[in-house]
Amino acid sequence: MNIDVRIKRTDPVSGETQWQTFEYDALGKPSVAKILEEINLREQLTDKDGKAARRISWECSCLQGVCGACAMVIDGRPALACETFVDPSAQSEVSIEPLRKFHVVADLVVDRSVIDKTLLESEVYIKDYNESSPDEFAHRYQASKCLKCGLCLEVCPNWTGTGKFAGALFANDCYLVDSADSSTEIRDEFGKHFAAGCSKSLSCMKVCPMKIETIASIAKMNRRKKR
Amino acid sequence: MKVLIVGTGISGLSAAVALASRGEDVIMISPFPSERAQSVMAAGGINAVDEESEDSFEAHIGDTLKGGRFIAGKEAVKGLCEAAPSVIRELEQMGTVFARDENGKIRRRAFGGQSFDRTCYSGTSTGKQIVTALRRELRRYESQGKAEIRLGTDFHSALIEDGRCYGILAYDERYASLAPIYADAVIIASGGQNALYGKTTGSTACDGYTAGRLFMQGAVLKNPEFVQFHPTTYVTPQKNMLISEAARGEGGRLFYVKDSKRVYFMEDLFGPKGNLMPRDVVSRSIFNTGEKVFLDVSFLGGKKIRERMLETYELCMKYGGLDITEEPIPVTPSVHFFMGGLAVDNGHMTNIDGLYAAGECASIYHGANRLGGNSMLAAFYGGKVAAGSIIEREEKREAPLFDGFIRDQEKAFNKILSSSGRKPVTDIRSKLAQAMKGSMGIIRNGKDLEDGINVLDGLIGQVREDEFDSSLLPYFTYSTEAIVVLGKAAMTAALARTESRGAHQRSEYKEEKDEFCAATLISYDGGRLSVSYDKEGRYEH
Ligand SMILES: Cc1cc2nc3c(=O)[nH]c(=O)nc-3n(C[C@H](O)[C@H](O)[C@H](O)COP(=O)(O)OP(=O)(O)OC[C@H]3O[C@@H](n4cnc5c(N)ncnc54)[C@H](O)[C@@H]3O)c2cc1C
Ligand code: FES
Repeated sequence: MNIDVRIKRTDPVSGETQWQTFEYDALGKPSVAKILEEINLREQLTDKDGKAARRISWECSCLQGVCGACAMVIDGRPALACETFVDPSAQSEVSIEPLRKFHVVADLVVDRSVIDKTLLESEVYIKDYNESSPDEFAHRYQASKCLKCGLCLEVCPNWTGTGKFAGALFANDCYLVDSADSSTEIRDEFGKHFAAGCSKSLSCMKVCPMKIETIASIAKMNRRKKR
Repeated sequence: MKVLIVGTGISGLSAAVALASRGEDVIMISPFPSERAQSVMAAGGINAVDEESEDSFEAHIGDTLKGGRFIAGKEAVKGLCEAAPSVIRELEQMGTVFARDENGKIRRRAFGGQSFDRTCYSGTSTGKQIVTALRRELRRYESQGKAEIRLGTDFHSALIEDGRCYGILAYDERYASLAPIYADAVIIASGGQNALYGKTTGSTACDGYTAGRLFMQGAVLKNPEFVQFHPTTYVTPQKNMLISEAARGEGGRLFYVKDSKRVYFMEDLFGPKGNLMPRDVVSRSIFNTGEKVFLDVSFLGGKKIRERMLETYELCMKYGGLDITEEPIPVTPSVHFFMGGLAVDNGHMTNIDGLYAAGECASIYHGANRLGGNSMLAAFYGGKVAAGSIIEREEKREAPLFDGFIRDQEKAFNKILSSSGRKPVTDIRSKLAQAMKGSMGIIRNGKDLEDGINVLDGLIGQVREDEFDSSLLPYFTYSTEAIVVLGKAAMTAALARTESRGAHQRSEYKEEKDEFCAATLISYDGGRLSVSYDKEGRYEH
């Protein structure tokens, strides 16, 4: 079944953007990753109007929703391309664009280095290891699955990428440190870069591919702060 | 000293932490951050003897050597197995979340080819838990200025003169340019060779290019014919998804249906522990049934399944709408792991001075077939050993001028950028994958291998002569020739090994032969591949 694939293209050299549509003959309900992969494999790449097109820049690695490489905006919703499926019997078009809050390198590839930069600036690591309580196991396990994909930042009403507020993934990583550290330094960083800035919209939790309960990290950090 | 590490998976991170914690300066390069490395996909666990149990180092060593059909180095394997408990302790102290029992003791599950339950785990996302902890630990040294990660930066070639490596030429994706990075020692930690087969259970970022290019630059490869087919993968339109060995470790049973009755063929063939035979044996047995095979875990019950293998449950649901608490999983063997790679000695150095390798890109410890749970152990331990060897053996040095080499590489690179071709180089990679699947499957034969080598020779000629679409990331174009050459090395080694051993099975030579009880070594020699066997243990011993 045919479907139109509309992609927001950004030229890596000029930075110019434009929407470009490709026709795609879908078998079953392919994932967006599968569609991008197959379009790029074509012998000659032409768009719907028959014009020669650049190959599409996009990132993937695991193709099973566990590495976060393929985060993008699909039909207006931020998601992982390898686990977002398109049903051609229900839609005649799918639109794909890069995450909007990060600098676009090319097409669907964005620069997410701000994530590591923030964690480094706040020295988010265990200063002095202290075995965490068994009660923390389940949440530590879940929080450790954070992909650093950036989806939580993309949907957050408070995260801008330039301000002090560091977003949900920061809160989860602070919790992971604090729950296994006898030093309490990380609590100040949490205070400075998260506590005051979060308006608890919790859109981060809805979008998180790993279903991390950031609210639990926040609550645990707040409780610890008071100790 | 300044040490350059290529790759940010478990082996690269482990080496980086070990070096930086001992005061050395580390630069890591990779196209992607650690969170995207294949290491995060590792599911079922990591092996280490429980020192308070009946298990022993001798048993872990014995199982590993036997699983590898006796061509791994005894001393090397001894080092690996004896270090395992301290590896787990170290990972724990970095904050890795391992599953624990009521008394707070780390749980261990059964894995294939092991005489005791030895596999420490966290659900079925053990690799992810380890990477999270290691990446966080590296930040300690980043903040001290001892470690730096350069992303969007890919290996292009090594800077080698008179048998010594002085650094690498790196491709910067952002500026589409090549630039040298000099170092006193280099560790390759670039993972497996998945691209040889197109898609495998693993990451698309593991393409074998680094090993292939270094091979062409004079590095010796070892055991490239040994490719592990994981017995249980779930076929989806996206790729074949791994059903972790944990599913059988927790009690899962393989069967096929004959005359509307289930035949538990592995148990019929090998007794009650038949489902947990080493992977080569299980894959071959599935292949030999000629039937559609299923893996049943549903009888374990929804609670245990979600508790012990949540990620496997979610994977089947997401990609196939299959509820494994209710239905058996249709499974097919498919390519999963590469025992072969860069030949290294017990200290993880290649035949080129100053050039080291660790993790899946290096060939050490696993022999002809790797045991599940030994690979993350090898990646972490190997990274540490490489770091230790560098501290012991290397020193600061002046690099000679590589101007001529760099100019030549830039010329070839610029040709790729200015090409007016329209077809994608990925077309060559697809043909390579087709040839590998045809000649390098579970059972091989001489005729198919010879045909395969001819096809790959044709592809090598094509990559050299044709012009390709320059709008595809240039990395794909400059890397393809060496990846095809790597495939040819695997086929050449498979053709030369006229016996069946572990993951290498020949239909005309069904038995193991004493004369082949040694690792294969293969070198490039200006394009004439020459094969020998490491009977003296010059590399791994
Ligand atoms: C689905 C799955 C499940 C698994 N489960 C288990 C398990 O339960 N237990 C176990 O022991 N093992 C398991 N394994 C195997 C194990 O995950 C790997 O062997 C191990 O993680 C390899 O680690 P590594 O550091 O060598 O490589 P990787 O983690 O693959 O890292 C390679 C790094 O090199 C980088 N790189 C690649 N090419 C270049 C280049 N040209 N330039 C620069 N950088 C480059 C990559 O981006 C990446 O950062 C599993 C594998 C898979 C696929
Ligand atoms: S490719 Fe890994 S999450 Fe999509």
